Amino acid sequence: MIEVRDLRKSYGDLQAVAGVSFSVAPGEVFGILGPNGAGKTTTVEILEGMRPPDGGSAFVNGVDVHSDPHRVKSIIGVQLQSSVFFERLNLSEILKLFGSFYGRRVDALELLEQVGLEDKIGSVYVDLSGGQKQRFSIAVALVNDPLVLFLDEPTTGLDPQARRHAWDLVKGFKSEGRTILLTTHYMEEAEELCDRIAIMDGGRIIALDEPDALIDSLLERGFSKEHVERQANLEDVFLDLTGRALREG
Amino acid sequence: MSLIASQTLTMTVASLKMYFRDRQALFWSLLLPMLFMVIFGLMDFGAFGRVDMGIADLADNAESRGVVAALEGIDALNVSYDPDRESARSAVEDGDIDVALVIPAGFGPSDDPVALEVLFNEARPRESGVGFSVLRQVLDELSFSMTGARRLFVIEPTPAGDRDLRYIDFLMPGIVAMSIMQMGLFSVAFAFVQLKRQGVLRRLLATPMRPASFIFAYVVTRLTVSVLQTGVLVGVAVLFFGVQIAGNPLTLLLLALVGGAVFVSLGFAVSGWAKNEQVAAPIANVIALPMIFLSGVFFPRDAMPDVLGVVTDYLPLSYLADSMRSVSVDGAALTSQWAGLLGLAAWLVVSYAVAIKLFRWE
Repeated sequence: MIEVRDLRKSYGDLQAVAGVSFSVAPGEVFGILGPNGAGKTTTVEILEGMRPPDGGSAFVNGVDVHSDPHRVKSIIGVQLQSSVFFERLNLSEILKLFGSFYGRRVDALELLEQVGLEDKIGSVYVDLSGGQKQRFSIAVALVNDPLVLFLDEPTTGLDPQARRHAWDLVKGFKSEGRTILLTTHYMEEAEELCDRIAIMDGGRIIALDEPDALIDSLLERGFSKEHVERQANLEDVFLDLTGRALREG
Repeated sequence: MSLIASQTLTMTVASLKMYFRDRQALFWSLLLPMLFMVIFGLMDFGAFGRVDMGIADLADNAESRGVVAALEGIDALNVSYDPDRESARSAVEDGDIDVALVIPAGFGPSDDPVALEVLFNEARPRESGVGFSVLRQVLDELSFSMTGARRLFVIEPTPAGDRDLRYIDFLMPGIVAMSIMQMGLFSVAFAFVQLKRQGVLRRLLATPMRPASFIFAYVVTRLTVSVLQTGVLVGVAVLFFGVQIAGNPLTLLLLALVGGAVFVSLGFAVSGWAKNEQVAAPIANVIALPMIFLSGVFFPRDAMPDVLGVVTDYLPLSYLADSMRSVSVDGAALTSQWAGLLGLAAWLVVSYAVAIKLFRWE
């Protein structure tokens, strides 16, 4: 579904992406992990047809993102890091407007139901809470019923309840057979959602495998933690005390 | 309908919707120019309504007194008397009266029609028009009662020297041009920088909509506002301040469209340059404020030192204000405004090129 070969992109002297290659199979959830400035977002933006690469090639569903960014844009759904939408349109109007960019008539209510925002249909974006904004931008990413979903840090800044809700959404998309490429800083998120992950640093992929295989290979090298992990961690305590239900506010 | 056309259409409709939902911005964009007109309009309020007609009766005989009595009986006229032709002429020139009828010595029935000179103020086409038609009617009736059929008098219209403009007549086109500039420059510079900073534009770039469609929607919205704003301001000026539009009002709207395009492009150029709203506002002000004072919005540029007068001829706001003024005050046709249109076109090309060069989506 996604084929990336030796992708390169520089900004001045800074080589943001320095020869990245990977492929994502149809229906797979593929995660790109890495510290800030590792080149995750640049890689994703090239795949989304938003930036031309300096070198290498990238294909999404067989479409060359460099030579035909428009066709790529029409078959993918995109959630950008910190997306913001028009202030003076309500959620329904925004969804319909974005749908029209793909030549589609959208059922705004149905899309909002998918992300649990059906009662916010007449609200404006700025009045939504952080988690609601994030879910709304996922709903916007779905307006064209995309083959591939790009989620750039979909849970950054969310509370544990909202994060789990977002995870459930992603699992739902996977079960619908969509291909998903997501970036994250959260290791437990990658472990929970991704079939395979690529770890990036300094514009390169330094490891690429299934999460379990990566952990196994680390242990094989004789790694052991100073603290032995207990059966529960602080997040489990937090969720036990505050419940798993989604908070709106 | 092709996808690009429908993308452009839905974006344009959404953009108009968003603009008109911003009631506060709409209110202020109309309030400020209206405030100017109210303040300056109040300075010169009484001059609207009836037609002031002066009469210099040099004959002072039975026939002439008959004409004067007939004119006095007409409600739409405010009749006053001048001792001679010269005082009547200067009264018209000063704007104290709108038209003056000069009845020559020895006025009375004769074989040839008698010529009656009527002095009028070119800057008051409506009042002098009313004055002429009333005069014609009165003189025709008089001829008829004296002779039965034959026309005894001919009116000789004479413009009374320099024109007298009321200040508000001069001011209105300037204020309208200024408000077009403010709307185009500020609403684009500010809104676009905001959309850019918030990341709204970046999200749009991730869709298959062409950037050109979005720019088109934005420009169409601003041009629509520019035309509507001109319509409202001119309407208020005509209805409440008795400003007369000597030329074709549609020509004013067309100039609003062209001027709007120039300042919207300038706004895009500013938005490409400025990193955030706090920078966009001062840059837009640096462009707009000097022009408000140098382009003859409030005062005629004739009063400026020669060099400054020549330089300010080339400002975009000068072209717009001068053309609008020619149409509104002198009744100029669009075709006679080719110099102004050419100037605006040149500015449009320059500012468009700068906008393209500086424009950034993120």
